[in-house]
Amino acid sequence: MFTKHETYPAALLELVSVANDAVRAVPPLFPLTSSVAVNPFLGQTGEPLAVTAARMARVAGTSVTPDRAHFAAKWQAGEITEADLQDALAAVAGRFDPPTLAEVKAALAQPDAAPAVLPTVAELAAEVSGFDWPGLIEDRIGVWAGSHFDEGQALWQPYRAGGAFVAWREFAARDLTPEIHGLAGFGAFVAESPRNPWRALGRAAEALGLTTAAAPTAFHRLLVDLGGWSQYARYLSWQAELEQGTDSTAVELLAIRLMFDEALLVQYGDDIGARWAEVAAAHAQPVTPSRDHVINAVWQEAAERAAQRVLAERLEHASKPAPAPHKARPEVQAAFCIDVRSEVFRRALEAQDAGVETIGFAGFFGLAAAHQAAGSDVVERRGPVLLQPGVSTQASEPAEADLTRRYGARAKRAWGRFKLAAVSSFAFVEATGPVYAGKLLRDALGLGRGGVAYDPAPVVDPSLDLATRAGMAKTVLTAMSLTSGFAKIVMLAGHGASVTNNAHESALNCGACGGHAGDVNARALAGLLNDTEVRYALSARGIDIPADTLFLAALHDTTTDEVTLFTQDQDTANWDNAIARLERALTLAGVAARAERAARLPRAQSAADIARRATDWAELRPEWGLAGCRAFVAAPRGRTEGAALQGQAFLHSYDWRADEGFGVLELILTAPVVVASWISLQYYGSTVAPALFGGGNKLLHNVTGGIGVLEGNGGAPRAGLPWQSVHDGNGFQHDPLRLSVVVEAPRDAMSAVLDKHPQVRALFDNRWLHLIAMDDHGRLAWRYDGKGGWEPMLLDAAQAIAAE
Amino acid sequence: MSLLYLPFLAPLFLLGVAALAVRLPGQRPGLLPRLAEWAGIAAVSASLAAIVVLIQMGPGTSALLGGAGIGLSVRLDAVSATMALLVSFVGWVVLRYSATAMDGEARQGAFTGWMAATLAMVLLLVSSGNLVQLWLAWVLTSLSLHQLLLHYPDRATAQRAARKKAVVARASEAALGVALILLAVTYGSSDIATILGRVTADLPTIAAALLVALAAVLASAQLPAHGWLTEVMEAPTPVSALLHAGVINAGGFLLIRFADLMLVAPGVMALLVMLGGLTALFGGLVMLTQPAVKTSLAWSTIAQMGFMVLQCGLALFPLALLHIVAHSLYKAHAFLSAGEAVRNVAKIRKPGPVAVPSARNVVQAFGLAIAIYAATGLMFGFDGKSVQAIALGVILIFGVAYLLAQGLADAAPAALTRYTVIWSAATSVSYFLLQSLAKAVTAGTLPATPAPGPLEWALIVLAGVSFGTVAVAQATFPLWASHPAALGLRVHLTNGFYLNALFDRLLGGWAKPAKS
Repeated sequence: MFTKHETYPAALLELVSVANDAVRAVPPLFPLTSSVAVNPFLGQTGEPLAVTAARMARVAGTSVTPDRAHFAAKWQAGEITEADLQDALAAVAGRFDPPTLAEVKAALAQPDAAPAVLPTVAELAAEVSGFDWPGLIEDRIGVWAGSHFDEGQALWQPYRAGGAFVAWREFAARDLTPEIHGLAGFGAFVAESPRNPWRALGRAAEALGLTTAAAPTAFHRLLVDLGGWSQYARYLSWQAELEQGTDSTAVELLAIRLMFDEALLVQYGDDIGARWAEVAAAHAQPVTPSRDHVINAVWQEAAERAAQRVLAERLEHASKPAPAPHKARPEVQAAFCIDVRSEVFRRALEAQDAGVETIGFAGFFGLAAAHQAAGSDVVERRGPVLLQPGVSTQASEPAEADLTRRYGARAKRAWGRFKLAAVSSFAFVEATGPVYAGKLLRDALGLGRGGVAYDPAPVVDPSLDLATRAGMAKTVLTAMSLTSGFAKIVMLAGHGASVTNNAHESALNCGACGGHAGDVNARALAGLLNDTEVRYALSARGIDIPADTLFLAALHDTTTDEVTLFTQDQDTANWDNAIARLERALTLAGVAARAERAARLPRAQSAADIARRATDWAELRPEWGLAGCRAFVAAPRGRTEGAALQGQAFLHSYDWRADEGFGVLELILTAPVVVASWISLQYYGSTVAPALFGGGNKLLHNVTGGIGVLEGNGGAPRAGLPWQSVHDGNGFQHDPLRLSVVVEAPRDAMSAVLDKHPQVRALFDNRWLHLIAMDDHGRLAWRYDGKGGWEPMLLDAAQAIAAE
Repeated sequence: MSLLYLPFLAPLFLLGVAALAVRLPGQRPGLLPRLAEWAGIAAVSASLAAIVVLIQMGPGTSALLGGAGIGLSVRLDAVSATMALLVSFVGWVVLRYSATAMDGEARQGAFTGWMAATLAMVLLLVSSGNLVQLWLAWVLTSLSLHQLLLHYPDRATAQRAARKKAVVARASEAALGVALILLAVTYGSSDIATILGRVTADLPTIAAALLVALAAVLASAQLPAHGWLTEVMEAPTPVSALLHAGVINAGGFLLIRFADLMLVAPGVMALLVMLGGLTALFGGLVMLTQPAVKTSLAWSTIAQMGFMVLQCGLALFPLALLHIVAHSLYKAHAFLSAGEAVRNVAKIRKPGPVAVPSARNVVQAFGLAIAIYAATGLMFGFDGKSVQAIALGVILIFGVAYLLAQGLADAAPAALTRYTVIWSAATSVSYFLLQSLAKAVTAGTLPATPAPGPLEWALIVLAGVSFGTVAVAQATFPLWASHPAALGLRVHLTNGFYLNALFDRLLGGWAKPAKS
């Protein structure tokens, strides 16, 4: 609002634009109610790893590659070969001043160089004063921001009018703490500061001597210092931009953080002024990787190539010729999410019953839904966070049932407030405290948490006309490469994790469903496809679904590997036998999948131990989620069937021969592949830089505002995966490898898609993702070289090239 | 051997685990975590057996194992038996939880050992028959808790909180030490029951009562020494559960144990009423502003302990004991299930906006609450209740009025009104019954509440008015809390009126070694 009525000097506008760019350098932090994996390097996809390493060293003092010991172990074990290393070196040639092979090998024996971070004013002030100013700033901003961003934990919510900066000014002008600790006159300094965050930012930058050349990394440095708060603010702008709006919270937070440094520079200027000037000058220097950064990036690339060799061997043994077009009709087609956890279960299910064919597709099943659960006013975004919801759905039940549900929930809420309010909390404890002896006993023994009550079936917005609904159905079926040959039962299995007392529950749920379980999307699609009107309209559009085909929604519980079938959503009388057979296969597959997963989980001697983890309130490692993910394969299932990919691969069913115009290929490379890259890089970041990109220690987690977790008392929320989600105590459960995307499709078609989508291409060009083309024999044949071309990976292909 | 020694079995089992942990301090220490859990079950069994003995044989003190008044002896009565059962039960839950949650931690063995040791010391404390054992257990409890608070020794915030806690604990230990020496010298015995049987209102006794009260309020995180409790989320979740449900009760236990002593010092009791009442209101208000779940729970503990101290000050010792038990069970559960906060906050938003009660609704709610209280009282009998107990009931019914106000709001549907009225009535009945139970259980062990004198009347009125004012403010909250005028108050409340910041400043809590 203030921006409309004021005019700003050009220099200030330029600085604000730098600040906006700096905000884009930090990844968004989604609230824990609907958290999804986020690529922590989202702002760095335009540059290669070595440059990012130099950048993150400067602004965060952290390394973004595994330590040398990690590579040394792989080298000594023979996992990384000399050839891998040479190939990796060749890949960087021309980009940087490349090290020699000898240098790269010698580096293994050298210790990791500590990243050289540029200090903030607060850190310089701490050095000369012996007072922990960075800690106090983190604490002060944390106390204010915790309340400001609270979604309902505190009964007494703060006054928020006017946005973050204005609200903070109101807080900080009154807060006596900085002055108690010796930051003289800070309250008055805040009270006299501009009410406009841009002007405050400009004034502080000027006082700190930050030029527009120095500002990009100087601002980034402070945004890193703000930790989860700047990332949560980035989420707010992410959401706003998705709705074609803007949100300036992150820049306002930056202005707040700058004001602390401005005040400290006034107080300690005599002692630190000269050093700060040097730091500001250093920020103005371009970000260039050191020799060590390049060497580490080479090792990382070599490790990934080594993993690709292993994948190539596994697939070579498994690959079957492309499926014959007129195979016998399968009994069941079971569609699962591409999530790596599905791979284990699909393999187990196929092994149980030869009549079951499995399909891999993004778990939101093409319906990005804005969903309202039963008795709820909250609209949940159950779709990929990259997309605006395309359809609204609602759990439908009679008005009376809805009201009963709401009254019950409201009464419980009133009781919850009674429990927490001043004075009444004493009455609550005295009258009901002893009841908690029973609750302690129940939860300690993990009793009484079974039997999830599912909502009534969701319905797609009834206002949509038939043509629209049929169009939706056609789009989804086409994207699934499922337009003919329908089985008697097509099972659509979303997935979710059943865990207890876990703040990171949504991180274990379906990422494609916005951190929710996938049941709603699967049920909505099944409802759509079972609708006779829709089927009739579909047949007019060239898709004939036989009358004896039933679409059956299901939910795969990734913690327990049990599958729930939503038979209650429609009349299934004609399919009773087939469903019984499917249920048997699912049960047996669950046993096999649990046995495979038990081997990897601590304290799981047998498959039976796994079910208990879902109900144990003390369990910090209920399942490994997507830890270990390293590959993405888009090809017919025949290419991967029979290969034990150890729950490390996203499997997307795709048949390029049926993809006219390569529209589906474009969809795969721009949506599921990007989502998978976010997941893979989140695991990568949480493993190689846990202090910066990891979620911290679950034992210390303190949920704030219902949106994030603090580690311990206060400070900023921790983004990323908690330590216990990637580490079993002895070692990492995730090998930090950037994702290898394998697609069976013509190379020029893939190149065309990349050229059309520069942001996606940047991911491949800068090797945040590897792209490999599979040939007609199901072999990994061609590697995208990051410069628009393709290199042969097979010996005979190389010879073929040479022969040309 | 006398059955009176039975309560010693509980700490003995746990100390055995602690001894074993010395050999297995590290990661995945074999069977140690499971053994610890079984020691917890054994401790619960021993505590239950002691209750059977108590019922069969009546209260008593064992002979002293030791000499010259120094050694170990058990006081078995309703207070110690209740506390022992509570502590061993919560201890078992926490040990069982830790066995899973701490899996993979580098120092799991040491953690398990210190946790068992802390529990053993609390159990030894509550069953103390003599002053020396009481004091040693008091000291050792806080020393072994200190090890748990510093489970991650490198965390600067953990160090700051532990250091603050240590300063408070040392002060509390010194006060208690002097108090106990005064008592031993004055009455020529170290046996607690003997001393309590003889107390008279002379100067050394009153001084001892004052010092016991001081030791107790310091241990209960009362103003202004509460700050450390809001900062110990720097230790793993099970430590918070143990601390808030087991250890923090030590202060309240001390006041209840020395109830006969406290009664001869009405001035000290008056101080307890004022300090406890102030802390209860202060903690309760600060809690309203806290956005982080564990921090909010910590402020809630401060408030609840304040309320318990207030009850002690009003000579309502059985109710204070009830409050300790009820609060511990609730708080242990709340901490251990703190991971549910994300779900809980999401649930709040789902059924739509909260119906805001008008001033008229609030008046109706208070009227209805008092009517429910009167009806319940008539049903179960007011007679035999002290003025203090009735006054306390009125304070609690102010709280119930808040529940009713939500249901009486004009915008609230009839179904919601029905729910809140039924739950309010159930709360009042449950409250009455539990009170009667606490009184019955402790009859003969804890002194009856004396008839109030002018000082007590003044305090009762003061407490009633201040709690009533806050309750009205709370019930009418949405009508004023978002007003800009309330903004400043909220800022200062969020910061706990800076008492903790001043404490930090005094101790140099934010000091950072300058880089060389």
